[in-house]
Amino acid sequence: MQVQVRLFATYREIVGAGQLAWTLRDGTTVGQLVEAVLAKYPRLVGHGNSMLLAVNHEVVRSDSILREGDEVALLPPVSGGAR
Amino acid sequence: MIEIQRARIDVEAVVNSVRRDDAGAIVIFLGSVRLDPEVQALDYEVYKPMALRTLTELVERAKQKFGVLEISVVHRVGRVPVGGDSVVLACAAAHRSEAFAACAWTMDEVKRIVPIWKTEAGPRTPRIRPG
Repeated sequence: MQVQVRLFATYREIVGAGQLAWTLRDGTTVGQLVEAVLAKYPRLVGHGNSMLLAVNHEVVRSDSILREGDEVALLPPVSGGAR
Repeated sequence: MIEIQRARIDVEAVVNSVRRDDAGAIVIFLGSVRLDPEVQALDYEVYKPMALRTLTELVERAKQKFGVLEISVVHRVGRVPVGGDSVVLACAAAHRSEAFAACAWTMDEVKRIVPIWKTEAGPRTPRIRPG
């Protein structure tokens, strides 16, 4: 099956693209997809802990199972501005 | 009114969008690009469908939590120069105390969970501003 991976801000700059088509085995989880993306783009590895994951515009846990055509977003921490 | 747009924000239009006869208070927050020696502008990047969805949910939560009548949020995307407004939030309530509280809470949540990122654009290499 194929999913779309969306990347933003720092992650987009590291990967050099904002969107990637990714082919996966059925039953793959979001966490397994992220591991595959990090393996291909090792400069993302240091960002793994602060990464938020969303599927079809909704935040998900890493054990969520992906389905054909899903849009998976790897989200850096948002802009913030504490004060 | 919940919008994400490239164009300059019409503050009066945002305020008018929350006006109601039963609202005795309207609190407005403007988030502006602040002068900094290394910053000439901020470039905002947004994951638009998720940002609109998150903003819509936030506004509904704020209305229930604080009992306010109307909330509008408009955020800019793209380049906003120093002095420009990057976000405008207007909150209408029967009385000012809940309008102030809802406005502050909603803005904090916008900063915390809405997928919008900013990059500083200055005389030197652009850099993404951390949270």
